[in-house]
Amino acid sequence: MGSSTDMPCREFVELVTAYLDGALSSADRERCDAHWRNCPECRAYLAQMQLVVGSLGQLRRREVEENGAERDRLLDLFRTRGLHNRESRERSVPLGMAGEFAAPGDHISYFWESEHEFDAAAGFLAAGVERDEGCVLLGHDAANARLLAGLERRGLAPDELRRRDRLHTVSGEQPADAVLGAIGDRIRTAVDRGVPMVRVLGNLGWEHPGWPAEADILRLEARVTDAVRNLASVVMCAYDVRGLSGRSLLLGGLECHPLTLRRAALRHNEHHVPAAQFLETLALDAA
Amino acid sequence: MSDVANASGAEEAAAHDELRVIEALRQGDEVTFARLVDQYHASLRRVALFYVSNRAVADEVVQDAWLGVIQGIWAFEGRSSLKTWVFRILINRAKTRAAREGRTMPFASFGADDIGAPEAAVSPDRFWPADHPTEPGHWTSPPRDFGASPEHRLLGREAGEHLQKAIDALPANQRLVLTLRDVEGCSTEEACNALGIQETNGRVLLHRARAKVRAALEPYLEGG
Repeated sequence: MGSSTDMPCREFVELVTAYLDGALSSADRERCDAHWRNCPECRAYLAQMQLVVGSLGQLRRREVEENGAERDRLLDLFRTRGLHNRESRERSVPLGMAGEFAAPGDHISYFWESEHEFDAAAGFLAAGVERDEGCVLLGHDAANARLLAGLERRGLAPDELRRRDRLHTVSGEQPADAVLGAIGDRIRTAVDRGVPMVRVLGNLGWEHPGWPAEADILRLEARVTDAVRNLASVVMCAYDVRGLSGRSLLLGGLECHPLTLRRAALRHNEHHVPAAQFLETLALDAA
Repeated sequence: MSDVANASGAEEAAAHDELRVIEALRQGDEVTFARLVDQYHASLRRVALFYVSNRAVADEVVQDAWLGVIQGIWAFEGRSSLKTWVFRILINRAKTRAAREGRTMPFASFGADDIGAPEAAVSPDRFWPADHPTEPGHWTSPPRDFGASPEHRLLGREAGEHLQKAIDALPANQRLVLTLRDVEGCSTEEACNALGIQETNGRVLLHRARAKVRAALEPYLEGG
């Protein structure tokens, strides 16, 4: 009988799952080892348990899996929607603005003039919430506050979204590398947790106290396009047409974004300059 | 010593293999993707049905999850195994869908206090009481040896039905943990990770689920 060890059988049967999982402390594991070696009844119990676990694992193999048609459909999805397909990405992500659709990996500049147009940007975030995506705000305080108020007007609760890990703020008041790193981390962490996509809304603090100088913000903007091209994300940067300098609008808004949203239309942007070329010109300007 | 070395070697090889799969998916390798579908599609469907009401909805949820895999693979850093990640995406989509349908779902508001009242793995009346003079807490009615090659009996069609019936009778949370862990072959850590619950709590549920399945099969196996 098991009375040769100090563990009652009744305790052994309660530890058996943790024992088989290797999750016991070494002291408890040794007590269990000693117990079943001396107790034929618990040895039988342990064997039964292992047999049950083993047969559960066999259940899957019994199934005759008939998913040929399903498989073809999924392969088609992989072919057309995979991000390896750089040239002809399907625009399947509702932008939440102007009835437009974007593709994952897009980097869009949004030129706004009126207050009404600025507030429409909250629709971009709201569409993400609707699809259970993550949202990241990268902006100066005043812009962020107005966007959050816009979300509330749409019946969404920013605090609850933060609690559910669906809304984050990334500070732009740091060097470009750090901002870029922080955005990438946010996207990767969200995707790792099973979130379908992340929307980033930028209201960069051009000439705002605490924000990097114009040239640094431009260096950031130039690199975002390549940084997010293959990530499950859409990045939109809002440009204040009346408030920003012509240089910020031209170099930042136009030359750093492959797509623009203006007059209720998402358009391919011929003014976009590849990052390497853009950064080279910027360095020459500075010199 | 050599066992340990072999084990870590095997782990390394598996991790290396996983990196190759991730890279192939990123490059659009259809053979790799098809293999992934064959490996997990039926399982994803089964797990989706824990959350949503019918097969058609489950199929949509599963397709959505695959799209998440297809588009998320470049951002996937391998903090967990690919398998855990695929299940986590599925469970996320299924939860969102279930919430939209207003369905109650497993682990809806699952916290440390929610594993429920204690349950004995084996009925207490099969042991001597704790104050028994010579054999406190030892078996009065022990399990019997299943005899020679019990596997054969358990793998028969009839036993398979008993097994399935025993699983179906489990409470939803226990059934879900047992399905991911023992049927789909995740580790306990992976299963809990995909479900977003504490590993210790998950193991309690697994323990109860396995104990019930064993108890349900006991008369059948010992009778043979």
